[in-house]
Amino acid sequence: MQTENFLREITAVPGLSGNEAAVAHAIADAFRPCCDEVRIDALNSVIGHIQGSGPKVMLCAHLDEIGLIVADIEKDGAVRFSNVGGVDPRILPGMRVTVYAKETLMGVVGAKAPHLLTDKEKKKNYRREDLFIDLGMSPERVKSLVQVGDLISLEVGVTSLLNGRLAGKTMDDRSCVAILLRAMERLKKMDTTADLYFVASCQEEIGGYGAMTSAYGIDPDFAVVLDVTHAKTPGAPDLEVFDLTAPVAAKGPYLNPYLRDRLAEVAKEINVTLQDEIVPRYTSTDADDITISRCGVPTVLIELPVKYMHTSVELLDLHALEESARLLAAFCAAIEDRWRDEIWI
Amino acid sequence: MDLKQLCEIHAPAGEEKRIRKALLAEARSLCGEENVRIDRMGNVLCFKKGREPGKPHVCVSAHMDEVGFIIMGATEDGLLRFRPIGSIDPRVVVSKRILVGEDLVPGVIGAMAIHLQSAADRERVLDYDGLFIDIGAKSKDEALGKCPAGTYAYFDTPYMTFGDGFVCAKALDDRVGCYTILELLKDSYPCDVTFAFVTLEEGGMRGSQGAAFAIQPDIAINLEGTAANDLGNVDSQFQVCCPGQGVAVSFMDKSSISQRRLFQKMLAIARENDVPHQVKRGVTGSNDAANYQRAASGALTCVLSVPCRYIHSGASVCCLSDVDAQIQLTRAFLNNV
Amino acid sequence: MLRDTLKTLLSAWGPSGNEHAVAEAIKALVAPHVDDMHVDALGNLIVQKYGSDENGKRIAFSAHMDHIGFVVTDIDENGFLRVNNVGGINQSISNARHVLFENGTEGVLYCQPAKGETPAMKHLFIDIGAESRTDAEQNVQIGDMAVYAPDCFEIGANRIASPAMDDRCACALLCELLMYLDEPKNTVIGIFSTQEEVGLRGSHVAAYSVAPDIGVGLDVTAWGDTPEVKLPSVQLGKGAAVKFIDRSMIASPSVRDALLKAAEDAGVPAQREVLPFGGQDGASLQHTRAGVPAGCLSIPCRYVHSPVEVIDMRDMESALRILLQFIENA
Repeated sequence: MQTENFLREITAVPGLSGNEAAVAHAIADAFRPCCDEVRIDALNSVIGHIQGSGPKVMLCAHLDEIGLIVADIEKDGAVRFSNVGGVDPRILPGMRVTVYAKETLMGVVGAKAPHLLTDKEKKKNYRREDLFIDLGMSPERVKSLVQVGDLISLEVGVTSLLNGRLAGKTMDDRSCVAILLRAMERLKKMDTTADLYFVASCQEEIGGYGAMTSAYGIDPDFAVVLDVTHAKTPGAPDLEVFDLTAPVAAKGPYLNPYLRDRLAEVAKEINVTLQDEIVPRYTSTDADDITISRCGVPTVLIELPVKYMHTSVELLDLHALEESARLLAAFCAAIEDRWRDEIWI
Repeated sequence: MDLKQLCEIHAPAGEEKRIRKALLAEARSLCGEENVRIDRMGNVLCFKKGREPGKPHVCVSAHMDEVGFIIMGATEDGLLRFRPIGSIDPRVVVSKRILVGEDLVPGVIGAMAIHLQSAADRERVLDYDGLFIDIGAKSKDEALGKCPAGTYAYFDTPYMTFGDGFVCAKALDDRVGCYTILELLKDSYPCDVTFAFVTLEEGGMRGSQGAAFAIQPDIAINLEGTAANDLGNVDSQFQVCCPGQGVAVSFMDKSSISQRRLFQKMLAIARENDVPHQVKRGVTGSNDAANYQRAASGALTCVLSVPCRYIHSGASVCCLSDVDAQIQLTRAFLNNV
Repeated sequence: MLRDTLKTLLSAWGPSGNEHAVAEAIKALVAPHVDDMHVDALGNLIVQKYGSDENGKRIAFSAHMDHIGFVVTDIDENGFLRVNNVGGINQSISNARHVLFENGTEGVLYCQPAKGETPAMKHLFIDIGAESRTDAEQNVQIGDMAVYAPDCFEIGANRIASPAMDDRCACALLCELLMYLDEPKNTVIGIFSTQEEVGLRGSHVAAYSVAPDIGVGLDVTAWGDTPEVKLPSVQLGKGAAVKFIDRSMIASPSVRDALLKAAEDAGVPAQREVLPFGGQDGASLQHTRAGVPAGCLSIPCRYVHSPVEVIDMRDMESALRILLQFIENA
């Protein structure tokens, strides 16, 4: 219930990539009771430190979210937009949005009515250029309140479903921030020597810049990256989707095999089911940037399966989230000094 | 260690442990235990103190990894599903012999017999979803028991010399560069030199990012095997470089532009020392020079390549005299910095 | 003044990777006005004007010296040069152009696709008047670069067209900024960067070595005020544009808002820019080391990456006033 409440609250806080101050402060407040020190860095990544004498480890999940930005205002008051991060335009028609203008405004994404489309047009997907935001106001009111560059977030709201499953906006990647938080709480009751930096990174959805810069600042020995991956849905390519109910850990050339083996050992010891994902190339997560920070950072990637990624109804399983946190905490506690020497031998 | 031994070690990007072990042993015996280390990307870095003070610090780099495959899963009837590590054109892998995993389980990549193909099938380019490694397993469980998902797989191509001084092998890109470094490690130089065997070049040029930051040289010379595209009556404007005509010096490729004066200096040194050389003409392809150029506060860079035909396939071809030229030119450069 | 500086810089030869002539021209202009100048491994010219306040901030501005061009990859037996692009060249507007090599060799760039083929880089060649390969090699070697021949002319009362406007107009702006600065309390660092057009390469290393407290990219931006073009909503003559987002970065809110406020304080017009594509040096500044708050001030420019890039001098004046105020406010 505690985790669910955190998710309900934190997914309602706006944090579009590059403009994450509000969510960064909310997360810093949540981290504070569990950390020795919490700070927000130059680009709005939150860094919570739990001091230790062992290897320096960065644990990272991103706090930013995809959304839209005002690009132009038409003569009739329709608001044209561009995207912030990878937004699929097909999910937008009929979506309720929040526009952060001089006042916070509610709006709805509109498109030409289907009755007026030709048969040929109906067969095509909407493109971003075909869509606009209707604010239900006169053009004069729109122009007095809204400016180019104002941010727009997608529909807010979390729905509880059967079997401890939740659906809502920005589970990518606030659910993994929740994992960080749950792991910190567990670690308070555990013995650990590792020097732990919990990072809620900014700007992941536009290219991993938050993780890149915070990794540079922290200069860790190892990193653990947490992000969401795809859970099974009908018709999806079977090599890239996973069971919703258990965490996944990736294997592949970008990730460190030694740490991955240690993670699997820990999972076995504490009976956490761990699914394998094989990633032949880049992972499309913060791991891609952290692994090549400074002289390099050996990294493992733990993923939480989520259905319907980059929509406003991203769906997860709370039990899988809790298991991920249990695994992360146990892994942190298992870290030893000798790993630094053994990693390439 | 000779080129044959180097090429026959299996080490796709991400699983370089075998080649790293071999290079580490060799480098330690050539330049002393205390001067060789493994960095945080798994690169092997060897430092040679220069004879004269005040010279620039030069890095000579080659990548130790090669292209290969990784097992993704298996079909119900025991065929292994796989993906390439690094870019391998799926059209060149059909009807090849493969070895899977540490135990070198033999396998083959087959395709539907031509007799069974429809006219449309024959036109269609096979992709990795339609290709499988057959290790003779009877079931999914047997296949994954032997070769679990995440296991790497390698081209099984013996090293072969043929023609007039030519060689056909897998992994010439970039074991030629590794071989050149091993030869260069035998000498000493006026300037400080760090020789770097780097990981993870194929599929993203990753290892050198860490090496470049760790070394931060003034000048970096990247040794490569590069695509030739010379044979088969190719129009001159599409040829890149020609095996047998010397080491190829790059002015530009997709990932970096060589510093103009360094490029010209390199050509001048080649001329003065009678090293067979050519200018690499094509500007495609990316390599580690980009990372040396742009790590930290930047470095001057140039790429010296052995021209290789059929690069990123199981059987690439190069000319041994070009490898000699790569050694000679790099040595001459280090002596003239 | 601004106009003269601009014209001087527009006449310098300098494709990506070969910017030294531009750097020399800039050095001559700014030398009397700065405390320190050096050129790094990638050819970036980095100049500093020290602030009077010991606790002042270090503010870096980056404008790139290079522009797009062509590199010779083959010389055929009849002396025609085959080329590849350096940076984002649009083949459809590269036909029948006057081009220039560094050593003064002039040529004609022509595109001759076979019947039914769409024009591609492989159809481009340069005719330097040579009659054979040997003849051509007297003047040009494989690996040499060419640019659209430098040119500059005024259209209407306020506008200037040139093939090198991207990004010499911002170089000119940065030069003028350094000249106008009178004992600033904050240290101002001018990065005249290289190789922007091939992927922000010069500014990447300059940002690392400079490690400023605040960064601002200076570049041109696309236009939305000619027939059939709608986005971005930026227009020529309506003031410099404060960037919110492009493909390379999202401006740090603190820097973006400070630029907007500087415009307001200086009483000059400024526009708000949302660009769904493109990139500039501000990204390098923002993403370096442990992260630096950074933004970008843009000069609206029509027909970017063509031989007739057009800007409006009123936007340059607006930009200069905004930057002076920005440094004062910081």
